[in-house]
Amino acid sequence: MVLNLLIGLPGDRPGGLLLSLVYFFASGAAALAAGCVYALACVALPRASLLLQGASAMLRGIPLILLVFLFANVSWFAAGVAGLVGLTLYSFGHVGEVLRSFLTAYPKPVADQARLMGMSRSRDWLQLRLPWTLWRSWSALITHWVSLLKDTGALVVLGIGELTTTAKVLSEVAPSFEQWATILISAAGLYLGATLALIQFVPFAAGKLFKILQQHERAGSQATERYV
Amino acid sequence: MLLSADVWLGIAGTLVLWALSGTLAVGIGLILAGGSLSDGRFVRLLARASVNLTRGIPTSLFVIAAGIGTMHLVSVSDLPIVFPGTTAAFQQLAWAIMLALALGSAGHLAEIFLAARAALGRPRLEQAAVLGLSRLRHAAIMARESASIALPPTGTRLIHHLHNTAFAALFPVADLFGAIEGQASATFRVFHFALLGCAIYAALSGLTWLLFRFLEAAFAPPSAQRARTRLPAWS
Repeated sequence: MVLNLLIGLPGDRPGGLLLSLVYFFASGAAALAAGCVYALACVALPRASLLLQGASAMLRGIPLILLVFLFANVSWFAAGVAGLVGLTLYSFGHVGEVLRSFLTAYPKPVADQARLMGMSRSRDWLQLRLPWTLWRSWSALITHWVSLLKDTGALVVLGIGELTTTAKVLSEVAPSFEQWATILISAAGLYLGATLALIQFVPFAAGKLFKILQQHERAGSQATERYV
Repeated sequence: MLLSADVWLGIAGTLVLWALSGTLAVGIGLILAGGSLSDGRFVRLLARASVNLTRGIPTSLFVIAAGIGTMHLVSVSDLPIVFPGTTAAFQQLAWAIMLALALGSAGHLAEIFLAARAALGRPRLEQAAVLGLSRLRHAAIMARESASIALPPTGTRLIHHLHNTAFAALFPVADLFGAIEGQASATFRVFHFALLGCAIYAALSGLTWLLFRFLEAAFAPPSAQRARTRLPAWS
């Protein structure tokens, strides 16, 4: 039973927690990349991007389960791809807005300093503003990602064999109350474990990534100083 | 007519589910937040464990557990019939799903209430403590003081909670998503009904947001209200 919850039902693998994690990482990464582009566009062109911001607000008003249903039924996507697109759009609506709000708060003295140093606009955005925004918005992003990991359960509406669907199928055919309870408690335990691992792992990975970025930044600024 | 009777019933079902489970979630959230601040170690640990459990488990799983669990449990026949569009035979199921939805949001709301209280700052918390008020009066003052901080994230959470009511469609409980799904299957006009569903959910989310903006203004600290009234009418 635990194996089925972990990797899916026989004949429908990969599934279970493994598939939930695949959906989570794929949609989370795609939404983060799209969110960065959205935030940069909104801050660089605040008036021109009003329509985009309105569309993003509208997107946040639609339940994920309905988005997934929409993409599965009215597009040429297969159920799996429709689920991924729905999750990515849902995550983008939240991540984009988080990044935009933090990027708007980028301190003016730092921006002026970069301009005085003669940094190019693209270098300023990519090497200074974006890392600053990601670093500051980290806790808000983690809160959203915890929610996203749990929300992969909405794929149950398409019957995609991720953890919630697997738990539903197994618990529906469970012959006794004890077995039914064991299946659901195990699924809950797996979600809790994955959430805790995410809370521990992401800051660790982020810390490593930002250390590398800082080293690059330091090397870059030393080169600029030598050049000046 | 733009909306069919089934869709109207779905909207009514969603609103009843949302209002009942949202109110219950706020109540449980307040109890869990109070328990997290308790002097008793056991109560505090129990409250923290409950907060972490309800935040770590997906609402969809809570709903599935409630739905399938109701079929395994002894039926309770004297529950009031309040969920429009759901047949009398499935009212107990609707009550169980309502409870599951409330549990799915309770931990998040408890964290919001705790964060809002902490945001008041230590001097204000100590000031309230030395007033020598009864527990109830003290709690009421704290709630009034932290309301303006707690209301925006509570509104956001209750919009998410509104979206979570769609999980009720996994069982024979009338709700908006179920009605949209049913109409789309019956008429094959999937795009039309999916878009209609998006528009209704977005409108309901917008109304919730407006309600909380109104509450925010009503519960704003007196200094903020004074500043607002001093603004010229055209600003």
